[in-house]
Amino acid sequence: MNKLKSIFTYLILSVAALVSLFPFLWMLISMTNKSVDITQGSLMPGTHLFENLRNLFENYNVGSALFNSFFIAIIATVLCLVISSLAGYGFEVYRSKGKDIVFTILLLSMMIPFAALMVPLFRLFGDISQVFPAIGVDTLYAVILPYVTTAFFVFFFRQNTKMFTKDLIEAGRIDGLSEIGIFFRIYMPSMKNTLAAAGIISFMNNWNNYLWPLVIIQSPENQTIPLLISNLGSGYTPDYGVIYTAIVIGTIPTALVFFFLQRYFVEGMTGSVKG
Amino acid sequence: MKKWLTVITVGLLTLILSACSLGADKNTYEETGVLTAWAWDPLFNVAALELAKDYYIEEDESFELEIIENGQKDIVQRLNTGLSSGTMKGMPNIVLIEDYRAQSFLQAYPDAFYDLSDYFNIDDFADYKKAPTSFDGGQFGVPFDTGVTGLYLRTDYLEEAGYTPEDLTNITWDEFIEIGKDIKEKTGKLMISINPNDPDHLRHMIQTAGVWFTEEDGRTVNISENEAVREAVRTYTALQEEGIAHINTDWSSRVAAFQSGEVVSVAVGNWMTPSIKAEESQAGKWTIVPIPRLSVDGAVNASNLGGSSFYVLNIPGKEKAAEFLASTFGSNVDLYQDFVTEIGAIGTYLPALDGEAFKKSDDFFGGQKIIADFITWMEDIPSVNYGMHTYASMDILIGEMQKYKSGKELDDALIDAQKQAEGRLSN
Amino acid sequence: MKLASNKSLIGWFFILIAVIFITLFYFYPMLQALILSFRSGMGVNLEFVGLDNYIRLFNDPVALTAIRNTFIYLIIQVPIMILLAMFFSVLLNNPNLKFKGFFRTAIFLPAVISLVAYSVIFKYLFSTDGIVNKFLLNLSVISEPIEWLMDPFWAKVLIIIAITWRWTGYNMIFYLAALQNVDKSVYEAARIDGANSFQQFFYITIPMLKPIILFTAITSTIGTLQLFDEPMNITRGGPGNETLTISQYIYNLSFEYTPDFGYAAAVSFVIVILTVIFSMIQFRLGGDRK
Repeated sequence: MNKLKSIFTYLILSVAALVSLFPFLWMLISMTNKSVDITQGSLMPGTHLFENLRNLFENYNVGSALFNSFFIAIIATVLCLVISSLAGYGFEVYRSKGKDIVFTILLLSMMIPFAALMVPLFRLFGDISQVFPAIGVDTLYAVILPYVTTAFFVFFFRQNTKMFTKDLIEAGRIDGLSEIGIFFRIYMPSMKNTLAAAGIISFMNNWNNYLWPLVIIQSPENQTIPLLISNLGSGYTPDYGVIYTAIVIGTIPTALVFFFLQRYFVEGMTGSVKG
Repeated sequence: MKKWLTVITVGLLTLILSACSLGADKNTYEETGVLTAWAWDPLFNVAALELAKDYYIEEDESFELEIIENGQKDIVQRLNTGLSSGTMKGMPNIVLIEDYRAQSFLQAYPDAFYDLSDYFNIDDFADYKKAPTSFDGGQFGVPFDTGVTGLYLRTDYLEEAGYTPEDLTNITWDEFIEIGKDIKEKTGKLMISINPNDPDHLRHMIQTAGVWFTEEDGRTVNISENEAVREAVRTYTALQEEGIAHINTDWSSRVAAFQSGEVVSVAVGNWMTPSIKAEESQAGKWTIVPIPRLSVDGAVNASNLGGSSFYVLNIPGKEKAAEFLASTFGSNVDLYQDFVTEIGAIGTYLPALDGEAFKKSDDFFGGQKIIADFITWMEDIPSVNYGMHTYASMDILIGEMQKYKSGKELDDALIDAQKQAEGRLSN
Repeated sequence: MKLASNKSLIGWFFILIAVIFITLFYFYPMLQALILSFRSGMGVNLEFVGLDNYIRLFNDPVALTAIRNTFIYLIIQVPIMILLAMFFSVLLNNPNLKFKGFFRTAIFLPAVISLVAYSVIFKYLFSTDGIVNKFLLNLSVISEPIEWLMDPFWAKVLIIIAITWRWTGYNMIFYLAALQNVDKSVYEAARIDGANSFQQFFYITIPMLKPIILFTAITSTIGTLQLFDEPMNITRGGPGNETLTISQYIYNLSFEYTPDFGYAAAVSFVIVILTVIFSMIQFRLGGDRK
């Protein structure tokens, strides 16, 4: 019975993995092919990998785009984890009527499509530019700022805090820890899985973000990876070999971040911090 | 935990500091004297700007121009966001805009563009370029490339079916369909590749009749009483229903359709030439004839698809930018020879068109003088005002065309399209 | 009493930074968008029109089609995806499972794929002579190829398949993370009492995961109501307007056509109102009370 169940599990997971990975295999194969072969749907690995890489790196500033994307994704993610977890914890642990109302209002901010906010937000950054040009239009900080906290992550941390054992907080208070001390020394270490999940999502969102950087970034030296990929496909005669090469390079970082952080989904299991 | 905090803090600080040194003082013309220009194809219009810049530097050694490559969609979105927010920060001095969209920008943002009437003479350019680039008595755009269309044909397939390119020269779309059915029967090849969700063929079909989705004022919707629109929708649907069309879903599958030899013809703007030539094994098997016309009175075998022009934004540096465009794209005959020989771009500047570069023959097309042919057809392109609503009208028409395809009466579909367009575009 | 109010005050400090950022970067632009929704015109030539934009919306067949399509996606796709995500997370939470890291990464990866590659590949796989049709034909599931991109019904199915493919792994992460917070000893006790896997799933896992189920249900609802990438890149809203979504229509009104930001803002607030209604229902059903 158990054996049958485990065969069944592996079978389902293998099919799911295959369906999920197929497009990635395609991308990997395509980056080794010439543009003409890719448009015709060739699924055989070719010999064009080095030429594609050379064309990409010689004609486009991939290094700078990678740096910018890393910069944006890392800063935004770290700030987002700290600020959103503080808020999620605050809303749940110090629950009060007033805070519940504020929380409900905050949720409202996720409900409008970003396309509708873009023009007012751009105007806001235009105003910011007059006073602090260093964080205004066409800076990496302007890309980051709207994402250092979003209601999405506050909501996520609050829901996870609901599953956090409150006795630990009392125990901390008895040990004489300050409220902020409890948060950093007891809550944060025991929320590794939640932090890992939020970290993955935030990194991915910021790494792949397209609409906002597109309007707020203008200089080529501030370009991010998705903007670079978008440029590659914009001509009348796009080189698909180069495009897929850029796509593969642009996908690797998020995949690695996921692979390393997903380990924390296991460690919590055996962690002794759990009540 | 503490160790981690230190590592993260130090890491963050390093990143922030290194980005400050990169991202600080932004270059505007006022601060640095460098102009910026946005265009979208590195092999085509970006390259053209580079050539123009080289010429201009010979006149003015201190001239500096930063040419930034942006996707066309990206440019449209950035311009709309920037111009509508009233924040001109980061906007370029020179920008390339597709002719179909030009009136939309000129009229939606009336003070945002700089009038170039005093810098160059629009009458030096192909007539059909004037309507899109001017507004309210002002001349805002310097025309760049022509979107003159042609019917690219696979001569080997024609021969197999017993046709010659002459049989497809100066025909109507109805004749095209009849020939297509015959060729399919004899060779098994499909005649053309189309994308019903992005039916750009409709645009060049309609222009052969010298009309558009709006009347000459560019605002009054002209769909239900418009014989050309009606014919175009009918013909386009017939292409699908007669089974002679390959259906593509995006640019790459459209290109694949001819590169892999699936279709007999490509009806498109001349800017497709490089993609056709990319499949070297087909060298010598292609020829280009005039585009088919609609079966309506007064339609001609010449049309336009795409094509774009340069605009100067009304921000510091505008005079310099205008001078640059005027002395290059606006008047330099040699530059237009270079466009043809170096990037294959066909301009619309009439005095340049009898240069040697325009008379060269192309072995890929069996020795045909394709550039010379294209400019002959260009002279016949009917001039229309694309107005403000080309893409909005197109989308409405796509919706109704789908309903027509699934059984709605064509007249009803067009009346509904007219109503929707009037409702949407009234203000 | 004093201690309690003191704590409440500290609580406000915890949420302060988040409230400031969200107010500045979301509520302030939202307010401006709301004001804009009472104005109309092309580009910068805007004039005050009162509620006209909202009235116009209910007479705009394209807007109504977009709302209808979006609803169809929402009602069919969100439940399927959430169940699938939960199912995979439970399978992948098995401590004895080998190659866990690989399977998890594989199933999550669709969420990180570049939109360019994703849309090209989906269009290719689902083209009329594409691999999916060949596969189904070989299995004799269908007798003639499905026009995935050109048929109004199948195009919607394709969009639903595409979003499910892309976002199941993403939602799975939230469950995987939350499952670690479920006390293992509860399962031990249940097993001793003779509960089978299904009973354990329905009577222990689901109730324990309630806050996260609520979270994913609401965020997926929001995500689907704002659906943009898939119809924009795979079907371009076609055939006709059969796969057009509200967000895509807002984008077209703002950037694809001569911009009417006022009307676009009004359409956006329709999404806000719909989302508020759905979220309220879900909060009710989710029993977010203590």
